[in-house]
Amino acid sequence: MNDPRLGNVVEMRDIVKTFPGVRALDGVSFSVRAGEIHALVGKNGAGKSTLVQILTGLYPQDSGEIFVRGEPIERMTTTRAKDVGIALVAQHARFVPGLSIAENVFAGSLPRTRGGFVDWSRLHRDSAERLRRFGLEIDVRRRMEEVTIAERQMIEIARALFAEASVVILDEPTAPLPKHEVRMLFEFVRRQRERGATFVYISHYLEEVFELSDRVTVLRNGQLVGVTPTSQLTQPTLVRMISGTDVERFRRPARGGLGKPVLEVAGLSRPGAYEDLSLRVHAGEVVGLTGLEGCGNGALARGLFGLEPLGVGRVLVDGKPYRAANPAEALRRGVAYLPRDRHGLGIVGIRSVRDNVSLSVTDKLANALGFISGRRERSLVGKYIASLGIKTPGMGQAVENLSGGNQQKVVVAKLVATAPRILLLDEPTQGVDVQAKVEILRIVDELTGGGVGVAIVSDELGELTDVCDRVLVFYRGRLTREFRKGVDEMTPARILAAIEGEVEEGVDAVA
Amino acid sequence: MPWRRHVPGLLDNLIWFILVGVILFFATQSDKFLTPINLRNILAAAAVLGVLVVGQTFVLITGNFDLSTESTLGLSALLGLWLIVPAVAPTWGAGLLWNPFVSIAAILLMGAIIGWLIGSLITYGRMNNFIVTLAMLLILRGAMLRFTEGNAVNGLNFPPAQVFYSLGSAPAVTLPWLGKLPVAVAAMLLLFLIGYVILEHRPFGRDLYAIGGNRAAAVASGIDADKRIRQVYVLSGFLAAFGGWMLAGRVASVQVDLGEGYIFQVMAAAVIGGISLNGGRGKMIGALGGVLLLSTIDRGLNLMQVSVFWIQVIQGLIILIAMFIDAQKVRFRAPVVDTGATATTAGTAASTAPAD
Repeated sequence: MNDPRLGNVVEMRDIVKTFPGVRALDGVSFSVRAGEIHALVGKNGAGKSTLVQILTGLYPQDSGEIFVRGEPIERMTTTRAKDVGIALVAQHARFVPGLSIAENVFAGSLPRTRGGFVDWSRLHRDSAERLRRFGLEIDVRRRMEEVTIAERQMIEIARALFAEASVVILDEPTAPLPKHEVRMLFEFVRRQRERGATFVYISHYLEEVFELSDRVTVLRNGQLVGVTPTSQLTQPTLVRMISGTDVERFRRPARGGLGKPVLEVAGLSRPGAYEDLSLRVHAGEVVGLTGLEGCGNGALARGLFGLEPLGVGRVLVDGKPYRAANPAEALRRGVAYLPRDRHGLGIVGIRSVRDNVSLSVTDKLANALGFISGRRERSLVGKYIASLGIKTPGMGQAVENLSGGNQQKVVVAKLVATAPRILLLDEPTQGVDVQAKVEILRIVDELTGGGVGVAIVSDELGELTDVCDRVLVFYRGRLTREFRKGVDEMTPARILAAIEGEVEEGVDAVA
Repeated sequence: MPWRRHVPGLLDNLIWFILVGVILFFATQSDKFLTPINLRNILAAAAVLGVLVVGQTFVLITGNFDLSTESTLGLSALLGLWLIVPAVAPTWGAGLLWNPFVSIAAILLMGAIIGWLIGSLITYGRMNNFIVTLAMLLILRGAMLRFTEGNAVNGLNFPPAQVFYSLGSAPAVTLPWLGKLPVAVAAMLLLFLIGYVILEHRPFGRDLYAIGGNRAAAVASGIDADKRIRQVYVLSGFLAAFGGWMLAGRVASVQVDLGEGYIFQVMAAAVIGGISLNGGRGKMIGALGGVLLLSTIDRGLNLMQVSVFWIQVIQGLIILIAMFIDAQKVRFRAPVVDTGATATTAGTAASTAPAD
């Protein structure tokens, strides 16, 4: 793969970049060989984005040199970056959703007829042909909003490669993707590497780093920690390099003596989402709900929270019949939900930490005259900032300015403030760095100590086996397996087999 | 660059600096500017605009528009008087001779109902707020024509109508130096105060900011966004009717075009005052600043005897300049707080480090 004749496509030497008050990069060197997939990892704030932004010409570096194919680049600008073939594929690819794939592929340079009108037949023919060259068989007349996110990213990569990009930077490409689309995307990226393309791959998902990359560069606090071939790394070593300390995996001890069931579901069906579900979550218990994308676990959580119809069947919360037409009703009944889509449903980014944490309980913070008590609010928000370890300069800071992990903790604080009986967590550690992941799981554990029942919707099997008392596997809308900690062999490998549809005979219904 | 830290705070309160600057400028241009009578005039001229801006601010905070308020205002002023006065010339009323207090209650109720209707069309009907309120702007203006058949309604020589005029014309408090401040000004300032308290200190206000900031997240946090949106339109409609009642007292005779074009000033005042058209940002107190600024400029240019042909151009330019300065805020936005080692100092030191 690493053809030594080609050497380094990109070489950055001793890059220093200071923002007022922060040394974002402190003499970092970074090089990418032709034809490799090079992972760039580090915690939020380690300097990955700054490095990439300098490489793509968004900011000038304070000092240090950049070489592309051995040629020194005096001053990198966005146009210069484009000219020398450095392309960035952002997490949310920049497309016009209402236009066709073909129009998007040729955006800005649509082929024209002699009369100056768009030459549609040529546009469709050429764009289909271009994409085919990269192994993408897609109907280019479809509108962009109709294709999956993974396909969008592949189209974006193809577009970059077609513009003769020699290095494509993928910034957290898999964060918005369901598992099976991740696989599609990875296969596509590998195929392009076989054809000589070079990738820089930024991610928080260490499993993916191991699965995909050839070499890894680790940054921490704006400094280079090391560059290592991926094959010579183990996951604990990499975690240590990233965090600087030994971040232990959080293994939640099995807690004996479960309380009463807080959530009971019996024979619940919703056409197109799930069928005949029966399950229980007890006070103080953590139950994992896992399966392939669209298997019904996420739909169940959203239905219970009143974001989607719940369907037909019996649901009890604290022993009483339950149904929520909207989230307000769910919260009143003690059902809280942490959404998968943090930016869309979790935080109000432009508002402060204070406003976000107290959002669901402003009524309870009000005095007899109906005014929010400033003192009570400050003490509530202060309590959660301290107990959840939310790193923020103050309560007045806009949440969008916090790192992903801290944003997620703000959402958790908002939920916990409602004093829920049952907490539904939908992919709670998505887009959160290793250390914050552990902290969030620890918070979940503390809550169960207080008698809250927790259900986690996730496909992070390692995490589920670490924290759950039970893991329930969904397959095509049905519950197919139950794993109990200490009773069954609850390992990621076993669960994965069940997820992918290896249904053991006799084990069909789960209580 | 420690000064950069103070820039966002400065820009947030920019309106007051501009206002002081403008006042100083006019004071140097005309010795009549800093006189009690002129300042009273500025406040009096700001009263009706201010009432509309309070209502509009609630709507804008949720990320919606209410273009219809100037028509509600005109219709209320007209209808209120029309119901009181006789049908013959020179009053041209309905001839119903309503008790003025009943009439006032009726138009305030009507304003609230119009607001509720708009809010319902937007929330139950899932219609676009811009279009719904634009349609309402036309419909209500048309209704005025229908009621008066084109005549100007006038209650000047009809004693019962004087009650209707009182809000807009009666003096209220006597202040040292400034003199007698009209009831309308006191009412406007009181409404701003109430609006401020509601937005900042009531759960209702927090809900509005959350809805404007991220509606889906607000709903997922247990807020009934549709209900809140209906409520802000009710508020806006009610205040528009209140403003109409106030305006009637200033003009005495209500023409069918009363209040036409107000919406531009309302939006300009709110936006200059820092209310984001995208929702979720802005403070009531800033909107007051926007109202005072527009009114001050208007009076000041008048005193300087600037040609009326130039006044609108200058107003437009001032709006652009204020917006330009406001747009520079993004350059000074607070930094992303790292989870790394910089986190401990991030609160005081960092200012523009990018997200990582």
